Amino acid sequence: VTASIRPDAGVKLRGMATYGTDLSVPGMWWGALVLSPVAHGRIRSVDLSGARAVPGVVAIGANDVPGLVGGNGGDAERPPFPRETIVYRHQPIAAVAAPSLEAARRAAALVRVETEPLPVKTDLESIFPDWPGSGAGNSPHVAAHVRARRGDVDRILGEAETVVRETYRTAGVLQVPLEPHACLAEVTDGRWTVRTSTQSPFGLREDTATILGIPESSVVVDGTWVGGGFGGKNSALLEPYALLLAKAAGAPVRLALGYREEFLLSRSTLPSVVRMETGVSHGRIVARRVRLLLDVGSSLPGRDFATGYSIGFFLGPYVTPVFEVEGYAVRTNKPPFGPHRAPFVPQCAFVAESHLDEVARTIGVDPEAFRADHLWTEGARTHFGQAVGPFGLPAAVQAARTRAREWRAHLPPDHGVGIGAGFWSTMTGAGGEARVRLMPRELVVLQGEREIGSGSVLAGLSSVAERATGLPRERVRIDYADTSRAPFDSGVFGSRTVGALGRAVDEAVRALFAEVGRRMGTAGPVRLEVADDEIQAVAGTSRRAVRDLLTSEELAGDGLVAEGRHYGSTDAIDESVVLEGQFYPFRDFTGAAHVAEVSVDRATGTVRVERYAAFHDVGTVIDPATARAQVEGGVVMGLGAALTEEAIWADDGRLTNAGLLDYRIPTMGEVPPIEVTFIEGFAGAGPFGAKGLGEPPIVPVPATIAAAVRAATGAHLLELPLSAERVARALKVV
Amino acid sequence: VTTPPLSLTVNGRSSSVDGVPADERLLDTLRWRLGLMGTKEGCRTGECGACTVLVDGESALSCLVLAHEADGASVVTIEGAEHDPIGRHVQAAFEEAGALQCGYCTPGFVMALTGLLKEHGGAASVDLLLRELGSNLCRCTGYRSIVQAVELARAGLP
Repeated sequence: VTASIRPDAGVKLRGMATYGTDLSVPGMWWGALVLSPVAHGRIRSVDLSGARAVPGVVAIGANDVPGLVGGNGGDAERPPFPRETIVYRHQPIAAVAAPSLEAARRAAALVRVETEPLPVKTDLESIFPDWPGSGAGNSPHVAAHVRARRGDVDRILGEAETVVRETYRTAGVLQVPLEPHACLAEVTDGRWTVRTSTQSPFGLREDTATILGIPESSVVVDGTWVGGGFGGKNSALLEPYALLLAKAAGAPVRLALGYREEFLLSRSTLPSVVRMETGVSHGRIVARRVRLLLDVGSSLPGRDFATGYSIGFFLGPYVTPVFEVEGYAVRTNKPPFGPHRAPFVPQCAFVAESHLDEVARTIGVDPEAFRADHLWTEGARTHFGQAVGPFGLPAAVQAARTRAREWRAHLPPDHGVGIGAGFWSTMTGAGGEARVRLMPRELVVLQGEREIGSGSVLAGLSSVAERATGLPRERVRIDYADTSRAPFDSGVFGSRTVGALGRAVDEAVRALFAEVGRRMGTAGPVRLEVADDEIQAVAGTSRRAVRDLLTSEELAGDGLVAEGRHYGSTDAIDESVVLEGQFYPFRDFTGAAHVAEVSVDRATGTVRVERYAAFHDVGTVIDPATARAQVEGGVVMGLGAALTEEAIWADDGRLTNAGLLDYRIPTMGEVPPIEVTFIEGFAGAGPFGAKGLGEPPIVPVPATIAAAVRAATGAHLLELPLSAERVARALKVV
Repeated sequence: VTTPPLSLTVNGRSSSVDGVPADERLLDTLRWRLGLMGTKEGCRTGECGACTVLVDGESALSCLVLAHEADGASVVTIEGAEHDPIGRHVQAAFEEAGALQCGYCTPGFVMALTGLLKEHGGAASVDLLLRELGSNLCRCTGYRSIVQAVELARAGLP
């Protein structure tokens, strides 16, 4: 494998990359959203007349949508603007556009909304004061309920030698990309075109078409460079508003969030409360019960995705013969829950690991040995009965324990070393397609994703094509086209880009080579080489310049074209598990074990991470430099969730810390040296045995830090983040 | 309120810009009047560092500088970095260390480090440079590769 230099370094280091925030066209208008001043209220009126009185301004609200989009006026459940009820503070209730930003802002401030107040709910536990004793039942606040059960939990817990019961709490965390959301929309000749910073052009196309109630075929999404996604740019946020404004104005409209608005409208991980019960006999887990209340904000009933897939993660990657896991997705007056790098799973892993440590300590055994003894091994099945498959987590845990022992050998006072583990999957079930074009001097891979920064598109897909063809990087070009011209792909999320879209690239090369072999008269393996500045095809002893294999039409046109597609399947859930509600079974499992050494200032509670080591089951390393970079970045994002990041909503539904000074993401001065080790050889479903790596690095981090803080201080914290305030308070009690 | 024409030398080219309001930020003048979109707009409150440029050789947050405060000044943006020997050196260090992911904070880091190396030259220790860069935020890289780029840039100084 060649090259560790990022293919996008040149354009980005010279300031030549166009992001969503950089979009402009001549004659463009500027949009602005009108955000709700209340978190919950019945709408009496939205008066746009003041805004419309500003010369040259268009203003639109819920009543204008049907006229603008025609037909049925869009998604009845999820209209762009609320028709009757406002459900979160700063929910967009109207939008304006004007030839200048200043005029648009002035007009937006003139929109008047009158509401009849409704009770604001922001705190999970005040909604269910008796939980978990009473359950959440049929409350109107419940958006979804899931339960999975295997065996007679009540009986086995009743018979267990020891039962440990704890309640954990986790905070909301936000994606905080450096680039706020921004897009530029234009509507001409029935074509609704939006250029935007997105992780998923095709997903966004579907989302936008659904929200506006227009055919998907009339929507074109053209992605820009993405200034950080982390899940926050998966689905439509500004795009439907920008398109409506462009239609109303009859001009291209740019719509961008200010940085404060980026915080206020973020759809991300929200708070949870989790009750854990674990029964142990003879040193083995015999039964467990998990009860989760997860805040899903203003997610619609039936539209919750988080509870169903996250609930299994509370059991960790540990053998559990009998269990019941139950989750309630609870509606509050906050923006809807949305994906945030391994959404909610770092929090699940924190609870899973911290609780098992407590169980082990309660029965007087070494927590790390206890966890290792229960770890899934290759050939095991998950809690819901799926085959774990080749699984490098046991090897990663073993390596982590070795490193921890070394670090513990020389430990200053108030320092501690902890280990955390976690599992994840590569979402290869979400499909993708790619087209390759073989030309005399280069191989072009046409696909529909923009590079979001992880490197998975430009470096990852290129590395796959290099491995598949034998060509060096400078002969492979990853090309992009908008949704009207590119092959379909699901999006850059779920750690799936290399695993699933990469498989499509690999398949496309196979199809290409089948045709090349046919033209060379061989059924044997084909590879490509460069000689005399030309690409040559080699099969057995035969060698032909690609130029000589192509027809004159191909030489004049797109070259020799082949397509590949990958649509994975999902495994069935085991019959011994009784399920209620919507689950999202994972597959293609991977795992990571992390080690941290921390020091704790006993007076202030401040935790400093001194050094860090991450051991990752990755199947096969496809691109070493970007792989390492993913782990470093994921670990540090996880340190934020572990230590300082906490979105705090006031009782009136206001996000109180909407800014970088109050919502503290990690800064350079607090980042430790990070050792990264890849465990290879446990092949995943991706090309050449690759597994996903975008999300796994963040999963074990809060658990690891909590274990290290406990080792340093003895304090067992049951709440994320481990802020200085919480640690100091815990130390006063210890 | 009419304002006098604004005179700026940007990336070595002098220009006079009319009609710049008194409260316009240098960031917006560079991006929207001069079309230099490489300087990134992040928080607009001086907290993220993405908009860092050089004003008369020193790094400055262009979101906190009024355009008219820079009247008569020489401004270097990321688009001009490669024409500056230190700027080019810093870009090469970032490329070699792979010290970028999404790239949105990158122009700010490059200009901030360029300014620091111009100011301190060979007297700058890596510790000093890292401390001074501590107010530039990055959400992707975890900073380790940026630390490496700083070390490379420092080590390669004459």
